[in-house]
Amino acid sequence: MIKIVKRDQPSRAIFFFTPVLAIFLTLVAGGLIFFILGFKPFEALKFFFIVPIADKYGFSELLLKATPLCLIAIGLSFCFKSNNWNIGAEGQLTFGAIVSGGVALLFYEQEGFYILPIVILAGAIGGMLYASIPAILKTYFNTNEILVSLMLVYVSKLILDYLVVGPWSNPEGFNFPETRQFSDSAKLPLLFEGLRIHAGIFLALAAVVISWFVFYKTYLGFQMKVSGFSLKTAKYAGYKGKKMIILVFLISGACAGLAGVGEITGPIGQLHREISPDYGFTAIIVAFLGRLNPVGIIFASLVVAITYLGAETAQIFMQIPKYTGQVFQGMILFFLLASDYLLFFKFKFIGSKK
Amino acid sequence: MNTTLKISNVTKIYPGCVANDNVSLEFNSGKIYALLGENGAGKSTLVKILSGVIIPDEGKIYLNENNLKLNSPLDAKKNDIGMVFQHFNLFETLSVFENLIIDSDEQRESLKEKIDTIMKKYNFSIDLDIPVLNLSAGQKQKVEIIRCLIRSPKVLIMDEPTSVLTEQETSELFSSLKKFSEEGILIIYITHKLKEVMQLCDEVAVMRRGKLVSVSEIENENIESLANKMVGQNLKTIKKKKAKTSSDQLIKITNLNFTSEDPFETNLMDINFSVNRGECLGIAGISGNGQSELFQVLSGEIISEKNSIKFNNNYIGDLNPQERREYLMAFSPEDRLEQAAIPQMKIFENVALNNFKSSNFFNNGLINENKIKEHSKKIISDFNVNTDNIDLKSQFLSGGNLQKLIIGRELITSPDLLICFNPTWGLDVGAINYIHETLIEINEQNKSIILISTDTDELLKLSDKISVIHKGKLSKIMNAEEVTSEKLGILMGGAN
Repeated sequence: MIKIVKRDQPSRAIFFFTPVLAIFLTLVAGGLIFFILGFKPFEALKFFFIVPIADKYGFSELLLKATPLCLIAIGLSFCFKSNNWNIGAEGQLTFGAIVSGGVALLFYEQEGFYILPIVILAGAIGGMLYASIPAILKTYFNTNEILVSLMLVYVSKLILDYLVVGPWSNPEGFNFPETRQFSDSAKLPLLFEGLRIHAGIFLALAAVVISWFVFYKTYLGFQMKVSGFSLKTAKYAGYKGKKMIILVFLISGACAGLAGVGEITGPIGQLHREISPDYGFTAIIVAFLGRLNPVGIIFASLVVAITYLGAETAQIFMQIPKYTGQVFQGMILFFLLASDYLLFFKFKFIGSKK
Repeated sequence: MNTTLKISNVTKIYPGCVANDNVSLEFNSGKIYALLGENGAGKSTLVKILSGVIIPDEGKIYLNENNLKLNSPLDAKKNDIGMVFQHFNLFETLSVFENLIIDSDEQRESLKEKIDTIMKKYNFSIDLDIPVLNLSAGQKQKVEIIRCLIRSPKVLIMDEPTSVLTEQETSELFSSLKKFSEEGILIIYITHKLKEVMQLCDEVAVMRRGKLVSVSEIENENIESLANKMVGQNLKTIKKKKAKTSSDQLIKITNLNFTSEDPFETNLMDINFSVNRGECLGIAGISGNGQSELFQVLSGEIISEKNSIKFNNNYIGDLNPQERREYLMAFSPEDRLEQAAIPQMKIFENVALNNFKSSNFFNNGLINENKIKEHSKKIISDFNVNTDNIDLKSQFLSGGNLQKLIIGRELITSPDLLICFNPTWGLDVGAINYIHETLIEINEQNKSIILISTDTDELLKLSDKISVIHKGKLSKIMNAEEVTSEKLGILMGGAN
């Protein structure tokens, strides 16, 4: 007979094992879904997870997709670690992109080394501004940050929509909903000839290093950890709760804003309606799959990035709708949450009698 | 028909805490039973077992000689046990009627009829069609009661039902309960309010620290005797040596008020007291009378008017705990596991929670781990914490060792005043003695203590002056020598 017993303490080994288990279960369930749809499971999984990254171009695309995911997830982990539930990174990304895109358009057809840093900075500030709304409403008016940050996502998308069809649309663009192309000085440099991977990846890597330092070496990181475990203890210790809420939202917004900059000044080069395939939402999965640990988040962002690529290849070669990618992302989160049960409980095999 | 409910040898153990220790009780219909005890005495666990929310580790429950298997709240309902919880389980946006029928599979019409009969019989007047959120607390409770009555229960359990009621609503509730009892429903009334027990109940069972302490007829008891049973009277009352009386005032609280937005909290009204150097002021009371709020106001978790607290000639009412620590105050809250320490963090990380500027735990925003560890080692050896591994997670410390760590953390900065709240709650005798000795030592070093405690013995042993808190008001401050536990008992019950 199998009995479920509560663990005396969450196991450290299990803590890092469950994400791996979740990915494995996702593959099994995915294979099963493909089988039911009438495909050969192994072949389908190969198209999904191996073919897309088998060559140089594919690998560059993987890093290209993993970059914004990693950057946003790092920012989100500042919030999540300290008990703040910012789920509006998609909106902060969009607003960051709007602000930096606006600045880039100001420098239309201009040259200068100073342009790119200004454009990047504008994106970070845009993201911060947008993230400050739920933060301020939460600290001073007790609103729920989950609702506010989520709803603001749709507001930002509508603002973007209005701008690209209205005031900012390309005068020579035959009424397509898009702006002019940014000048080369406002674009992130490509790393390799012929590949789309760009310098934005360094922003993500810098965020990983900085966040690791903040989480484990600074007083701020310590305060976040305490607040994450118990707000009552944080209050008793005398931490300035409001200040911290605003700060983590600003950091999170800056990261999402930078991810937005990376998209529009990297592969896209202009503003249009769809600048992000929901990176801001998917990054929530990445943050938890990576256990809110900067190094874990690197791996998680690579894994989740594959689902984006795999969905595209599967659509081309197997005529499976690309939304399968979202199914896989959902399954990863589902299995991760389910296997987290193992953190607190274990199976005990006992004899026929108690 | 007579109903007999028997609890036989029920034990429920949580990690590190025996919530119910071999409890046996028998209830008969026609009477109203009080189950009395402080917070954490185990009464809630016991009624949750009766209502199927918690499954006991050992023991059986019999209703009219039938052994009940209560594995879920549904089982309890099926066996005619109804329960009204302290926090209501109602859907605020649904109408009263919808709330009443939500867990029933009977026909709407017949239910409507039943509800109307019940309302008429007990004189309940509630509009069935308005949403629950528009009801007062008393009306919501009536909805919960009707929901139980629909199933014509044999047993009705009320968990701290008056905590959110007005006086008027309370007396209405009591007359309804008396009516139910006359009709043969067995009523179990859980409370820590002594007056209500005397007013309403026929028999009273007292629990303390998980154990059943006594069962008696209400005629043989009075408020003082019940209070003593509840908080536990230990006969040996060794008092500390009388400290040299000093007239050097350290802290003075003037006209301090706190009004809470949370109906489950107690408001503090017009608190005034002062403590001199080298003195220990004890604050007695039955838990839930404002102790927690008083602690938070004193520690700075709740901020008050600047002038309401004067400490060492500084007005500090508007400072947060960290800022107050810099003025040489220290705090040991009641809840060791959820507030004073974080069990999932290592010992040395917990030490860093008391961030006193001159201890240099954090320099320029960076963690100075070596400094914290050095400091932690000193606490562990100075305060006899039984471990030598400061990288150990605190959850592996026993309650006593964790409390030593917390007291040590607070005292190692040599504060002028230590405010502690139930410092020995749930500890074994050895640890209790150690903490008591430490507290006496502090006074001998001419430092002061405010000891908020529900343990009368502890207060009589350690305090120089004693006051009693009741419904958020302090009694006059008495010299400890003039106080007896009987006198405290009367004051704790609310008498003047």
